[in-house]
Amino acid sequence: MRKFTQSLIAIIISLIFGALILWLMGKDPVTAYTDLLRGSGLMEKVRYSGRQNMFTDFMSFIDAMTPMIFASLAVALALKGGFFNIGVSGQMLFAGFCAHMAAMILPSKIAVVIVGLIAGALIGALIGWLKYRFNVNEVVSSIMMNSILMYLITFYINTFYINPVSRQSKSIISAARLTLSGFRWEGLKIDIALAFPLAVATALFLHWFIERTTYGYEIKASGLSPNAAYYAGMNVNRTALMTMTLSGALAGLAGVSYFCGYLAAIQPGVVPSMGFDAIAVSLLGGNNPVGCVLASFLITVISKGSVYMSSRQNIDMEIASLIAAFILTFAACSSLLGRRRK
Amino acid sequence: MAENIVEFRHITKRFPGIIANDDVSLSIKEGEIFAVLGENGAGKSTLVSMLFGMYEPDGGEIYVRGKLEHINSPRYAGSLGIGMVHQHFRLVSNYTVAENIVLGLEPVRKIFGVIPSVDMKKANHDIAELSERYGLKVNPTDVIENLNVATRQRVEILKMLYREAEILIFDEPTAVLTPQEIASFIDIVRGLREQGKTIILITHKLNEIKAVADRCAIMNRGKLIDVLDVKTASTDDMARMMVGHDISFTTERKPARFGGVILDVKNLTVKNAAGLDAVKNVSFQIHAGEVFAVAGVSGNGQNELADSIAGLVKISGGTVTLNGHDITNATVREHITKGVAYIPEDRHNVGLVLDFTLRDNFPLRQYYTPKFSRKGVLSESEFETYGEKLEEAYDIRSGQGGATITRAMSGGNQQKAIIARELDMKTPLIIFMQPTRGLDAGAVMNIHRHIVDERDRGAAVLLISLDLDEILDCADTIAVIYNGSINKISPASEISTDEIGLYMMGVKTA
Repeated sequence: MRKFTQSLIAIIISLIFGALILWLMGKDPVTAYTDLLRGSGLMEKVRYSGRQNMFTDFMSFIDAMTPMIFASLAVALALKGGFFNIGVSGQMLFAGFCAHMAAMILPSKIAVVIVGLIAGALIGALIGWLKYRFNVNEVVSSIMMNSILMYLITFYINTFYINPVSRQSKSIISAARLTLSGFRWEGLKIDIALAFPLAVATALFLHWFIERTTYGYEIKASGLSPNAAYYAGMNVNRTALMTMTLSGALAGLAGVSYFCGYLAAIQPGVVPSMGFDAIAVSLLGGNNPVGCVLASFLITVISKGSVYMSSRQNIDMEIASLIAAFILTFAACSSLLGRRRK
Repeated sequence: MAENIVEFRHITKRFPGIIANDDVSLSIKEGEIFAVLGENGAGKSTLVSMLFGMYEPDGGEIYVRGKLEHINSPRYAGSLGIGMVHQHFRLVSNYTVAENIVLGLEPVRKIFGVIPSVDMKKANHDIAELSERYGLKVNPTDVIENLNVATRQRVEILKMLYREAEILIFDEPTAVLTPQEIASFIDIVRGLREQGKTIILITHKLNEIKAVADRCAIMNRGKLIDVLDVKTASTDDMARMMVGHDISFTTERKPARFGGVILDVKNLTVKNAAGLDAVKNVSFQIHAGEVFAVAGVSGNGQNELADSIAGLVKISGGTVTLNGHDITNATVREHITKGVAYIPEDRHNVGLVLDFTLRDNFPLRQYYTPKFSRKGVLSESEFETYGEKLEEAYDIRSGQGGATITRAMSGGNQQKAIIARELDMKTPLIIFMQPTRGLDAGAVMNIHRHIVDERDRGAAVLLISLDLDEILDCADTIAVIYNGSINKISPASEISTDEIGLYMMGVKTA
């Protein structure tokens, strides 16, 4: 409850800050903020182009939010176990790439999910293993892993898997894509995120898993006090490995719902920034799985709605990112402040 | 009549759920040794911490030399001539004595008249002089990590004196010292008073107060009970006021009735983290119904001895047998299931997950058993009822019952929680490592009672302690550890305190 209040305060302060900036730029903060909601399909826009309305906007919003939920859950679980998984981006990329490859052999949505899950889990497990076998700091190994994977995948895409027009990878076959893109219904074209129910279910399951199972108890104890966990007879190394594997698996789901869902292709040469934003989203959500869903919702409102806001208000997109950055910074600060107060 | 150098007027300080100080007023005279006595959680440390600027009072005023002061930081306290030696020393372990003392106030000289640099030569000279003047023997160029606890304490005292402190605060200064070191500490304190310093001593050791203090304030549950003249007050009176009821100083006990051998340790050798032998070829047996106590000065292998028998560190030589089963180098969990309960020394980092609730901490070593976990799912109701049962049976007090975050509890109650958890397993062997360190007399009595009760239940008890009083109070058999070897094993009735002291210092060997 206290964490919830902290996050709420962080959000309010940042919105005030953002409003101040908008006001200094000579814009009306209230309209700008409502435009964020309009762009996310939460309020009616002034007009819509053909085959679109508020509902289709909302469905695209859900599509964008789905990978963020998985990514923030990956961070939250790792933090519960005392790990800072800064490698969610690399794990997402690897999972997305493996799923793309698998879809060429077996064009099935289920295969994509399973391959993504396993690919992410493998990278997570590798980081966990490096930690307990050689005591390599997980922050270092996961950052390095981000680069290694990004360059390997970039090399492969540029050499064998490029779409020469878009300068991105080829697109995944739609039979295997986790988003039903442009689904026709009642004269509308809708993007349906098939993985969204899975994301919400995963969050609820994870909450139960952490709070109510023996494994969750071990993860929390090892994360909060490895010495006490060892004294309690827990296998701290095995728990660490398990935590990172599960975190990687969640990042893998984020990867496939992003590269084989929200997007259909992989852009070579970059890691998705979502993996880093997810750290802050997880903090904003108080490292609680359900909180992560709520925080993902808010952050996606800002990122998704900013397109519409910038076109309507003639404000740079970056301003919306700035407000999001404020929220995340304040969220991080407030959770740290909360820790200092005994 | 000496003037009041410090006055607390109607001081109130609240922490969430607790009133640490409730309208406390007292005054301390210049040049006296003033002791503050009270149980853990009585608020004595809080009161004195406010004088040193670590907390600010919620209500009331502090006067220093007759002037109202708002002491909002230790730095400001320092400028008023107030210094403090904390229970856990604050020294940089790879710096020399002199470097530690001058840290923050270094004598500066200018190279070529421009570039400032620390004048270490002058610092060493100054410290040598200071140490001479106050009779506190230290070598300014020694590195802290090579020094024993008593010397480090002298360094802390010199640090205050270097800052020209006139009011010296000591928080539990003798908790980590040997009897011989305590005697010399008491001499040091007397010497400081002769130099005109005012000394405030926080402690719960009555005999020290009797030996050294002029006056003594007694606190109980945040309230000031009384200020006594130590010369005329009896220790019994002080003790009674401190705990609010009579206590006896020795635990009543029936004569021991030894059963069969429970723990058999043969030629045990254990390496420490640095790879050196910390326990060397140690052999002993503990019977059912026996309290086997290991005395020794800190750092002579006690930690490694306890950890290795509890299964936390690897044994590099020898065997440990429990009830006829070889448990040498078995996993921690095997030790738990075979019946080794362990109350570790470090209750904050090892004994408890401090950020867990109290309720979550109780099953820490049994959470996976069918009682608490069915098919991998924890039983919330069992956690709750078990927590209530232990809180009740062991009188564990906390702000919000089982839902209290353990970190927010007092040290005494945290220790009670660990003891409750371990003793409730009713194991044949129980290891107590420094079970009462930093606890008040009431809690100590309570824990000693438990030790003797467990013995009477028929458990074998291994008690490792730096506190000789504790060992004498509980032990049936006394072993003395020195430099990793057990120097002497003797029935408690056949060895004198002085003799134990000599074995502890390695002066005598068996």
